[in-house]
Amino acid sequence: MLLRNPGGMIGVAILTIAIAVALVGPLLFPTSPWRMVQRPFLPPFTMANLPLGTDALGRDVMAGIIYGARVSLLVGLISTLASLAVGIPLGAAAGYFGGKIDDALMRFTEFFQTVPSFALAIVLVAIMQPSIVSIVVAIAIVSWPPVARLVRGEVLSLRTREYVQAAVVTGQTNWWIIWREILPNALSPVIVLASLMVATAILLESSLSFLGLGDPNLMSWGYMVGAGRTVIRQAWWITVFPGIAILVSVLALNLIGEGLNDALNPRLAKGGR
Amino acid sequence: MISFIAQRIAKAIVVLLALVVLNFFLIRLAPGDPALVMAGEAGAGDQIFLAQLREKFGLDQPLPVQLFLYVKGILSLDLGFSFRQQMPVATLILQRLPATLLLTGTAFAISLAFGIVFGALAARFAGTWADTAITVLALVFYATPLFWVALMAILLFSVTMDWLPSFGYETVGANYTGLTHVLDVAAHLVLPATTIGLFFMATYARMTRASMLEVNRLDFVKTARAKGLSDTVIQRRHVLRNALLPVVTLAGLQAGTLVGGAVLTETVFAWPGIGRLMYEALLQRDYNLLLGVFVVCSAMVLAFNLITDLVYRSVDPRIEFAS
Amino acid sequence: MSKRKILMSFAVLCMLSTAAVAEGPKAGGVVNAVIQPEPPSLMVGLVQNGPTQMVAGNIYEGLLRYSPKLEPLPGLAESWTVSEDGKTYTFKLVKSATWHDGKPFTSADVLFSIDFLKQTHPRARGNLVQLDKVEAPDESTVVFTLKQPFGPFIGIFEVGSLPMIPKHIYEGTDFKTNPANNTPVGTGPFMFKEWQKGSFIRLVKNPNYHVKGKPNIDEIYWHVIPDAAARSVAYETGKVDVLPGGSVENFDVPRLSKLKNTCVTGAGWEFFSPHSWLWLNNRAGPTANKKFRQALMFAIDRNMAKDVVWNGLGKVATGPSGSAIKYYTGAVPKYDYDPAKAKALLKEAGYNGEKLRMLPLPYGETWQRWAEMVRQNLQDVGINVEMVATDVPGWNQKVSEWDYDIAFTYLYQYGDPALGVGRNYISSQIAKGSPFNNVEGYSNPEIDKLFADGAVAFPDAARGEIYAKAQKILVEDVPVAWMLELQFPTITRCSVKNLVTTGIGVNDGFRDAWIEK
Repeated sequence: MLLRNPGGMIGVAILTIAIAVALVGPLLFPTSPWRMVQRPFLPPFTMANLPLGTDALGRDVMAGIIYGARVSLLVGLISTLASLAVGIPLGAAAGYFGGKIDDALMRFTEFFQTVPSFALAIVLVAIMQPSIVSIVVAIAIVSWPPVARLVRGEVLSLRTREYVQAAVVTGQTNWWIIWREILPNALSPVIVLASLMVATAILLESSLSFLGLGDPNLMSWGYMVGAGRTVIRQAWWITVFPGIAILVSVLALNLIGEGLNDALNPRLAKGGR
Repeated sequence: MISFIAQRIAKAIVVLLALVVLNFFLIRLAPGDPALVMAGEAGAGDQIFLAQLREKFGLDQPLPVQLFLYVKGILSLDLGFSFRQQMPVATLILQRLPATLLLTGTAFAISLAFGIVFGALAARFAGTWADTAITVLALVFYATPLFWVALMAILLFSVTMDWLPSFGYETVGANYTGLTHVLDVAAHLVLPATTIGLFFMATYARMTRASMLEVNRLDFVKTARAKGLSDTVIQRRHVLRNALLPVVTLAGLQAGTLVGGAVLTETVFAWPGIGRLMYEALLQRDYNLLLGVFVVCSAMVLAFNLITDLVYRSVDPRIEFAS
Repeated sequence: MSKRKILMSFAVLCMLSTAAVAEGPKAGGVVNAVIQPEPPSLMVGLVQNGPTQMVAGNIYEGLLRYSPKLEPLPGLAESWTVSEDGKTYTFKLVKSATWHDGKPFTSADVLFSIDFLKQTHPRARGNLVQLDKVEAPDESTVVFTLKQPFGPFIGIFEVGSLPMIPKHIYEGTDFKTNPANNTPVGTGPFMFKEWQKGSFIRLVKNPNYHVKGKPNIDEIYWHVIPDAAARSVAYETGKVDVLPGGSVENFDVPRLSKLKNTCVTGAGWEFFSPHSWLWLNNRAGPTANKKFRQALMFAIDRNMAKDVVWNGLGKVATGPSGSAIKYYTGAVPKYDYDPAKAKALLKEAGYNGEKLRMLPLPYGETWQRWAEMVRQNLQDVGINVEMVATDVPGWNQKVSEWDYDIAFTYLYQYGDPALGVGRNYISSQIAKGSPFNNVEGYSNPEIDKLFADGAVAFPDAARGEIYAKAQKILVEDVPVAWMLELQFPTITRCSVKNLVTTGIGVNDGFRDAWIEK
């Protein structure tokens, strides 16, 4: 069903390439991206073995993109998974049980949400001092509240639907109801949100690098874009190529999310008519 | 209803206080303190200097005492004194708050407007190449790093075409008044607000599209079609109103973070706002200022959450709130 | 002389005089500059941050100013004499100087300022250590008497090091909370007018300035623009005319210098002489071993750093002293780029792969790239280096608490080894809590004695000998790894003339600047 959505197909194709690059790339290009291999600011497409040119220190931009794929994708994936693992159960419980549980959980969620998320992320990274671990933890901590609230909203809506009432009447346990009846139907916006969250995580990482809070031992796409921003005028390729890599990955993730959304709603195969 | 609101406000105050205490300690966990920062910027500092600064900043008192004094201040709406700039925190925040609200408010309106339009269009053509194309267009601005878009916008509109100014809130030294002043600020506002607006547009577009598709397959839509209503009427009157629910949720979530979320844009465009103030306060370990900004932002988020919940409830009467 | 020669000289004379008339300073105009980061305060007696000095140096004044060769020039003192034994300094003050609020500047203000600064200004405190007493025999004379001859003494009167503070505003008040701190009052060519936090600072011409005919400029706006790329754009679009040193990333300097009506100069930093090096923790780890430290010096390619990271600006440092500082000598052991030698020394030192933590300076992309380059240099000779990321306060903390193996830094040297160099190498300056003293923990009694003697040696030549010896010993011991003498180019419109004329450049240069229309 996913295959019938052109956007979804493109998304899957792109993501597959990205994952392949992340897994296999470093094996085919063993030189560390940190090595200074040529003169600095070599333009792209001028030397065959340096197709994307070199950066401010003469390092291979292509190697950076290949090694960066691993880091950027992992950051996006792990922080999102962590956020979902916390947000979905909390939101579902709040929406389904209501009452005091809802109250307490929502206060807890609100607590995390009242501080502006980017600001909190910056503070957390500053406290733990920048490293890939602190970045992932910070992103996960600021990203779960929207998941919880969204799931709660959906569950609240669905709780009153007929099939749920039917399940209650037939004596199913609460968690069974949540798991089998409500969550699958609540999941479409969550999946959409999740695909956006992976993308957001990748972008958050690049924003942190822009502000000088990236991990200096790992070459990620965000790191490359941040490093190249001061020389955008004379060496556009240092920011553009990793920027395109980020753009394409984020796009792919979103198209996949969309395709999944459409696929999971069986009556949507033909579109809105 | 009134008691519901009153209860929520009371709970919000509790949350706020808990937040203050948590952040108070959290911020101090970061290495370094404001005295060291000042010494660092002066390129010189001896123990006497550091001790003097710490005493002036009140940092030499035990932590619980500092916390107590701070909370006492908050309860009387006194946000304390900025260590570094030796001015009341409330003054510093109030100086910069309107600029941020103007920026993020405008950006919010732009993103909501464009987002809903794009999303509705995409839903209309769902499953086709047109759908993909519209979605990709909405996403491009989301996926490109914000500061890159900002810098490109500056290069295009300020440097190359010289249509719009590249930094600041208004033209310094010109002292415009009245309509000229409004236009001057508007000219400075265009680039930063559009940059942020285009970024957030994608989120609303996605949500609108997903929501409209979901509502479209519900029974009451089929009923309306069976009754013979035209598609446009259906979309506009029935589908859109219901589909906008999750969008409203999201908008409510985002609105609260508007105040603190513009750090990057304010930095690139030298916009004198709260986001930049907060970031600089963090780097300078200006604890009181940083906490003050957090408190103000959090208060706004709590207020917006309450409003969102009320709107949500009034739009979808099937939702019951536990009392 | 022959008739022809007379005619020719006359013609040349005419040309020169018309040229002189055409080139004369013009009055009027507004200059837009940038200040980065925004200073916390402009009261330079209490706050000595770099940006504060840059703006406030035009509001306040010191007794003396300094030429690019660091020779003293009249400031608030119009003349001065030093006694034969080098212990008494007599200054005759300018008689017509007034504070911005109209009150006259007198010797009483000088006495008050010395007292004030001893309490609030760490560098002044250190500089005045040899001061025995200061007296004011009359309203326009001040006499400083020292305990011993102190050669550098004539060099401590720069506006950022010893600014004159108005007694009638600060006497008897709590200096730190005096409301006048928000509206600084000095004697300088420009008066404080307005400060919109986060946006700009505005200074206006002092109509009663004691140097007739100056300043030429009417107003200065210091814009606050946090992003380096945005600062470049502001200059390109004509909104800003002056980019002081350090405002834009080095990578941008070549591009900006090629713009129309743009002049670039590396001058104006001679007094500060920024000197960069790597702190090497002499207490623990592989860096405690002298051979290891020497290996580091051979392993790092400083010429490439200068060319690639600093765009060819600056000089490779040969030792603890910058080449513009008094008593500098280049007759010291050399450490050219030699990875083979480095590897050999590493073996001798018995290094077996321990991981070293390197701390870059969190001051922007230039420093980050430099740290990456050095890391690569070290890894190439087999040293295991891990980069630690911090923000500015975190860096301050780690360095002050000696929690590092290798840490980037740069410091100012203030013209004389007794003022700016000694503090990094003498044992008495080993104390936790400061990132500017003897952070590396190097302790050598011979060096302690040399710096102690050098400060008070008399006459000048004697000081030269002592410092030459000290430099040789230090370069042999490599307590820190000296990298580059930094250059921070000042970029201005060519129509802004005569801005950089002193040893501190823009900091007090607006007094003599003028705008060609």
